[in-house]
Amino acid sequence: MSKSLTLLRFSLGQLLAGRRLIIIAVLVALPLVLPAVFAARADVDPATFTLDLFRQLVLPVLLPVVALTFSTSSLGSELRDGTITNLLLKPIPRPAVLGAKYLAAVLSSLLVLLPAEAVGHVVAARGLGSTQLLGGMLLATTVGALAYCALGVLLSLLMARALLVGLAYALLWEGAVVSVAPSASSLSIRGYTEGVLAAVLKGEGLDLTTRLGPVSATVLAAVVTLAALFLAVRRLERMDIP
Amino acid sequence: MSGQPAAGAVVELRRFSKWYGDVVAVADLSFELGPGVTGLLGPNGAGKTTTLKAICGLLHPSQGEVLLFGRPIQRDPMLYRAIGVVPDGDRLYPRLTVRSYVRLHADLQGLNDPGAAAERAIAEVDMAPLADRRLKGLSKGERQRTKVAGAIVHQPALLVLDEPMTGMDPGQRARFIELIRLIGAAGVTVLVSSHILGEVERLASQILVMVSGRLAASGDFHAIRDLMADQPRTVMVKADDARRLAAGLIALPSTVAVEVDGDALRARTRSVDSFATALPRLARDQGASLREVRTTDESLEQVFRYLVGRR
Repeated sequence: MSKSLTLLRFSLGQLLAGRRLIIIAVLVALPLVLPAVFAARADVDPATFTLDLFRQLVLPVLLPVVALTFSTSSLGSELRDGTITNLLLKPIPRPAVLGAKYLAAVLSSLLVLLPAEAVGHVVAARGLGSTQLLGGMLLATTVGALAYCALGVLLSLLMARALLVGLAYALLWEGAVVSVAPSASSLSIRGYTEGVLAAVLKGEGLDLTTRLGPVSATVLAAVVTLAALFLAVRRLERMDIP
Repeated sequence: MSGQPAAGAVVELRRFSKWYGDVVAVADLSFELGPGVTGLLGPNGAGKTTTLKAICGLLHPSQGEVLLFGRPIQRDPMLYRAIGVVPDGDRLYPRLTVRSYVRLHADLQGLNDPGAAAERAIAEVDMAPLADRRLKGLSKGERQRTKVAGAIVHQPALLVLDEPMTGMDPGQRARFIELIRLIGAAGVTVLVSSHILGEVERLASQILVMVSGRLAASGDFHAIRDLMADQPRTVMVKADDARRLAAGLIALPSTVAVEVDGDALRARTRSVDSFATALPRLARDQGASLREVRTTDESLEQVFRYLVGRR
């Protein structure tokens, strides 16, 4: 097995070790699946219900909380307790170490979020339902996880309270500031994910207005993700390891 | 240890300095190291760990250069194939077993047969009976030995150890010292830091002495120890009848002064060894129970400062 794969497998094991995976998976699945059970029994349009739940619960809360939790602890906690030296004092370039830690955070986030979203969708629709809606949600979640995890890894290299700062960004900036100053959505990962979702659902007949067009949302998500990763690599290469 | 042939110095520091804001941790440090065991001695806060971290590439020099095999490590991570490091602190993954921890090091070094290399390293540090135990359940000495196994699993040409014997019992220390001597005799360059003079004496023939971020002395251990012997050391003793013990201690030819404070006494001696030999006999003769005996760090620092003054 290559050194990078070893590093990725080990990092995934560290993030998902013990009961942590089960606890986070249950905390995420409950608010998505339970309402879907009640919606399936009521007379509501399953597609509209699922989309509303996704926009009001997954995008503003679950996605940033899960992705930032995994990404800030992936590299940050090892920096804090000093165990990162076990990985850095090896014949592996630091960008590869950072890449493995980032990918581990993204995969962990998706492992928790995607199944819960899919199950919630299937329960609400009492079947497969709209595959375009399901595909749009999964794609938007993936784009959001890629961007939030890049941000989380960068923050964890810059400060000790990275999770707190990341959550403040997601809840205050994306939640409050963007709602009163729509132009701020160009600096909102949530805005990018909504733009991607809208692009996939175009023509599906669902009510989905977004501040960013599909192209701008996709381009901005890619730029923010790559910029955060670039800055994180520079920081890791130049910083002193305590 | 296979080591690796190296032309010139394995480690070379050229006017290395490291500072944090206004605080200077290490100033203008220059030395070269070749194969064999070298001890890095100095009191706590002397800059030993900063120097070792710079050699390992964990810290960037504020000024000067740190070269390994003639190259700066920051620009060449592949140099880590030839370097093994036992850093300060615990720095272990508590959920891993001894075997999986050492195997992780072997895998990340890209060894051809990582399983066999891990087993060999575990056996070298006498951890084979505990190989399947989780690290969180081990004693401090056992965890230290596991770190050493991780550092030697790829048979490095340069081994850097920061206070490696912390937490080891006397038996473990003796076996560890024998292992390090064997590694050094095989042509590996070994740099071991410690603030305990006796520990370094048993490990290394060559030493570097650091005080307040500067190199105070370097060279043959015995020559430097003779210089140190000129200065008395302070030994703290706690006993149930310190006053009676003090009367016996002051009669020793190497004792310079004794102060008694309740159940404790501070003796200044020109020979810690003869003091340590005489103390248990005196205590037994006078029926006193010894509760604590230690040399004080301030005392060691005083000796180091004396060395700086002589330069």
